[in-house]
Amino acid sequence: MKQKLSVTLAGLAVGLVAVCLGVFGNPANMALCVACFIRDTAGSLGLHRAETVQYMRPEIIGIVFGAFFTGLAKKEFASKGGSSPYTRFLLGVCVMVGALVFLGCPLRMVLRIAGGDMNAVVGLLGFALGILTGIFFLNKGFSLKRSYDQPAVEGFGLPAANALLLILLVASPALLFFSANGPGSMHAPLLMSLAGGLIVGAAAQRSRLCFIGGVRDAVMFKDFHMLMPFAVVFATVLIGNLATAKFAFGFEGQPLAHTEWVWNVLGLYLVGFGSVLLGGCPLRQLVLASCGNSDAAVTVLGFFAGSAICHNFGLASSGAGTSAGGRVAFVVCMAFAFATATANTRILHKAREVLT
Amino acid sequence: MTHMELLATFYTHYGAMRFHKRCAKEGMLSKMAPVPRVLSASCGVCVRFEAACAPNAEEHEDMERCYTVAASGAYAPVEG
Repeated sequence: MKQKLSVTLAGLAVGLVAVCLGVFGNPANMALCVACFIRDTAGSLGLHRAETVQYMRPEIIGIVFGAFFTGLAKKEFASKGGSSPYTRFLLGVCVMVGALVFLGCPLRMVLRIAGGDMNAVVGLLGFALGILTGIFFLNKGFSLKRSYDQPAVEGFGLPAANALLLILLVASPALLFFSANGPGSMHAPLLMSLAGGLIVGAAAQRSRLCFIGGVRDAVMFKDFHMLMPFAVVFATVLIGNLATAKFAFGFEGQPLAHTEWVWNVLGLYLVGFGSVLLGGCPLRQLVLASCGNSDAAVTVLGFFAGSAICHNFGLASSGAGTSAGGRVAFVVCMAFAFATATANTRILHKAREVLT
Repeated sequence: MTHMELLATFYTHYGAMRFHKRCAKEGMLSKMAPVPRVLSASCGVCVRFEAACAPNAEEHEDMERCYTVAASGAYAPVEG
């Protein structure tokens, strides 16, 4: 009961933060998106030069600090890692490619649906199928092997880097890139974004909020309580959008979205599949990394690298649709995800041993 | 023989699945479930099972820790 209340309140907190940030300047249907905001932050650091998506998003800094300080206060911060870090890095790249084909992480998918964007409803189908594919491999014995206790410096690495980003943003913004137009130029006031991120980070840490875990628990254990945040975020943002006249139902003309339904399905399929292999959605990876999990920190670095690759090589989709390069990158990433899943699945190992 | 309710946490999903299958093979009542929030901030999988005594975690692949489950639902770590 307490856990149900915790995830419900976390969903409410995330929904309210999203509504507030949307009202005060964040892009429409993109008030909170881990993938897009990591992409913007990567652009701000000059890791890619797509001029319309460069902004050091305080929400990301806030989420990391929110989860970090909550983890410390509750004595749940623990330096752990060593579970196939290189594979996790590459899967992080793949998940980001999928997210930038669709244009959003699972959290933004919910925000888009709550904004009336039916392209995201189509994407939800792919997301669910991707999770089911991941669960298939889990049931066949997929594992990236266990993690181990590590020196404290490993766990503090990502929060420390996060502190440097905040110092850069506040003390020497001239070193950073900022979009003059496009979604990167649209943002809520810095302190509000930071506070919003802190709330989301703390709530996600306490509730273990995860858009993958909810579906996994429902399918594998018939435990539906982690699906509650989906519904609460959706309902909160839907009410917020209706109240502020931002709800627009349909496929065409949706903000920062395209109508290529096949690629909306496939993009989120890769996000769902890759995230199950990684053990959590992009938001969950960020929270775990903030609480000392260096495997998740490596995955977050994979998100940064993936976003830089996508924008440096023109792979990311736009409102006009997917790019040829993006479609090729998707195929490569999908092949990698399936190869990784197969190579790390015990039952298939045994089958190969029998055949050889 | 009196059986007690136990809960084992694992480092990997695979470890939990393997232990769950072993319980079934040995005729023990067992169920896989998400790890209770009070036991962990991670979102892993645990196995709830009934046995006469707690297993030694080191003897099972990827088993992290074992807990006894009281009738009130409280968990107590099994030492050793």
